[in-house]
Amino acid sequence: MTVLTTVLRRIGTAILTIVLASLFVFLAIQLLPGDVAQQLLGQNATPDAVKALRESLGLDQNVWLRYGNWLIGAAHGDFGTSLVSGDPVGPSLFVAFRNSMLIAVPAMLIGVTVSLTLGVVAGVRRGRASDHVISLISLVVMSVPEFMVATVLVLVFAIAIPVFPAVVLRGSDATVLQLLPSVWLPMIVLTLAMAAYIVRTARSSTIDVMASEFITTAELKGLSTRQIVWRHAVPSALLPTLNVVALNVAWLLGGVVVVENVFNYPGMGKLMLESVFNRDLPTIQAIALLSALIYVVCNLAADLVALALDPRLRTRQRGRRARPRGTARRPAALAAASAGPATADTATATAGTSSARKDRA
Amino acid sequence: MPPIVPSPMNDHERGPSRRTLLTGAAGLAGLGLLTLTGCTSGARSTTIPEGAATGIAARGGRLRIARPAASAAETLDSASSLSAYEYLGALYNRLVKQNQAGETVADLAEEWNATPDGTTWTFRLRKGVRFHNGKTFTAADAIASIEHILDPKTASPQGGVLGDMLDKNSMSAPDPYTLRFDLTKPNAEFPSLLTAYQCYIVPAGEIATIGTTGIGTGPFKLSSFAPAGSGSVEAFDDHFAGRPALDGIDFSSIQDTTARVNALLAGQIDLISQTNLDFATARVVSASSRATVARVKNAQWYTIPMLATSTEFKDPMVRQAMKFAYDPKVIVATALQGTGSPGWDNPVPPTLAAFDDDRRVYDPDKARALLKKAGRSGMKTSIYTSSYESVFTPMAVAYRDQVKAAGIDLTVRNASSDSYYTEIWMQKPLMVSYWFTGRPIDQLLNQIFRTGSSYNESAWSNTTFDGLLDDARATMNDDRRRMLYQDAQRLIIEDGADMTPMFGDRLVGISRDVVNYREFGFEFDYLRIGLRK
Repeated sequence: MTVLTTVLRRIGTAILTIVLASLFVFLAIQLLPGDVAQQLLGQNATPDAVKALRESLGLDQNVWLRYGNWLIGAAHGDFGTSLVSGDPVGPSLFVAFRNSMLIAVPAMLIGVTVSLTLGVVAGVRRGRASDHVISLISLVVMSVPEFMVATVLVLVFAIAIPVFPAVVLRGSDATVLQLLPSVWLPMIVLTLAMAAYIVRTARSSTIDVMASEFITTAELKGLSTRQIVWRHAVPSALLPTLNVVALNVAWLLGGVVVVENVFNYPGMGKLMLESVFNRDLPTIQAIALLSALIYVVCNLAADLVALALDPRLRTRQRGRRARPRGTARRPAALAAASAGPATADTATATAGTSSARKDRA
Repeated sequence: MPPIVPSPMNDHERGPSRRTLLTGAAGLAGLGLLTLTGCTSGARSTTIPEGAATGIAARGGRLRIARPAASAAETLDSASSLSAYEYLGALYNRLVKQNQAGETVADLAEEWNATPDGTTWTFRLRKGVRFHNGKTFTAADAIASIEHILDPKTASPQGGVLGDMLDKNSMSAPDPYTLRFDLTKPNAEFPSLLTAYQCYIVPAGEIATIGTTGIGTGPFKLSSFAPAGSGSVEAFDDHFAGRPALDGIDFSSIQDTTARVNALLAGQIDLISQTNLDFATARVVSASSRATVARVKNAQWYTIPMLATSTEFKDPMVRQAMKFAYDPKVIVATALQGTGSPGWDNPVPPTLAAFDDDRRVYDPDKARALLKKAGRSGMKTSIYTSSYESVFTPMAVAYRDQVKAAGIDLTVRNASSDSYYTEIWMQKPLMVSYWFTGRPIDQLLNQIFRTGSSYNESAWSNTTFDGLLDDARATMNDDRRRMLYQDAQRLIIEDGADMTPMFGDRLVGISRDVVNYREFGFEFDYLRIGLRK
């Protein structure tokens, strides 16, 4: 019951967040100077030309009315037509999103796995050479903006040693197969930019956990380092890292704007940049909606994974399976879980893990 | 310049070695430094080449052009203000075109003449010209194309210009190869107005879909086109002036300037269109083994419009002071680093036959006296610029520094480039702007300087000037007419509100394999451009 209420409340907040995001983006675009007709025509924006274009685009209609109509359409899955190309927004956004995912998903998977591993290694080997190397490199990558990383990679791997193409020459009509040779450099840039933050967080959170009492207890019991690290420290250390991972995954959406522009990659970031430049309201709205959705889903997922990783929750389930004694602790464990992973009570956790170990023995 | 040491290109063909990597990295670091120190020293080892390579193009080959597509709304309809510029000259022909001296020469029309009063013009059309769809070109196609430009629904930038002297009943075809224009008012320069890049001729029956089909009589026929995406054209064997040197051209859209340059340096493309490289980038490109820079002489017409309707500049004495106060030679030397020629506030490029070579003086003392007389001594105002074009800010800064001597205190303000032409241009009293050169004299003066023209960026209005333009249009004698145009130029220099500090060379990034690249009058020379190998 409590779980259901929590989940429902989260979903309700998510929907509200998405609608508000779309409203704020709409208001922000209204504040930008110029409309789509003026932006398209530029120096050719003579009064007659602007008037003719506005009429042909239906811009003479009230702007709030257009927003309302768009919102109703979007609720039914129709994202309207682009004011610039005249094509339906849905399909072109889908292609752009697919292209972005082509670089973002591998970047995410590789970035998260590698950086979590490196972070834990650095945390465990705190103060040793491997820690220094990992920390230094991650600090450097963190400080250099991604467009700079992108430019350096292009200079080295596309111009000096031409192994990868510098830019994508095809537009949004490119198929996945045609894009494949060009995805590597953008993917590496995204991975690097994202990984650095996660390495730093994973390292400091590992250090915190390694210093805690239950690890000392485990050490005193004579467990091997490997067991201590991977069975006890890592699950606890990952909890605070999860939110950083979630934020970083959502950040990828912003990162792709810069990276896609440098590589002329026909993804969502480039579509966003172009539609903002052209004040193409329906396209911007659809992108805002999708971005908000991804943001919300990422954070929701992070919370759910946190619930799953929480040692207290794990104990409860095992305890329930093993013997009825576990039920006595249930309300407390649930309350702690719904209060969020940040309020982890080390004492309970220690008790939980040790009892779980006893169950096994 | 032949490389003395084996070029890195050869190393690459063998596959990258450790040495290549190291020299490559060192070279890049050097280029980086060059970029950073781009504005400090005058003398340097890498200079920007003067012109494009000429030579014999190998038959065949495909040229790869990267272009900054305006938007996904772009179209192959040349009449539209959203036309995809680079495709037009490849796909279509006009009735008449311009040569480099700005004279009107034959294209689809072989010869033309007017009645002595300049109201009836007869064009004799080329016979045996075929469109890409196999149809034969006749006067009916020309009439339909021009009617399309005049159609208010098209909202063509050239519609107003031609509409001033043409209406629906003005055009007739006494026979399929004769086209007659009965103008509503005389115009001795009428043929030159048909050289505009909106005036390409398309088949009469194809106008509704021309934006995507691109059927014309040009040296290349369209094989694919995606707005703001990639596209290709293939050599048209039946082109009336012979087959082009190339087999085809592949166009791709790259929005980001750095990305376009990277693509050129990486050998992915052969030419960057519509892009005036900044000097630091131009030096990096000319130092590259794959690419170089070709200068298109005086292609960029830089202006500093003073809004004649503003309180600051409605007084002609203040406007004169703003001109006397600066030396265009210094602006060319600093803002253009010498890659251009001083304009002396005459908007007519020196290459045009009607150019008036009388030059105003540079006299800061006179400027100071004029300001005093106008009660505006120690005038203070802002000059707006943006990153819209690479020369804008250097020009604004150089101008500000120049006019200090006359006691004029300008503050350079940087505005957002994406709304520069909607929020600043024709709104702020003082700003910097530019145009591509290539307008014939009559169009240039009427479009940018005539009272009430929608392109009159300084909102200047002078009835004597307008009268001179009307007289010129009614004067069939070429010498007399040229004198009237020269009087008009002098009036702009004396009273006008749109300053012309300079004409800049466009620095175009091209591959070292490209030969015979030429671009003037808003068109590439698509027949001769080719690849060396």
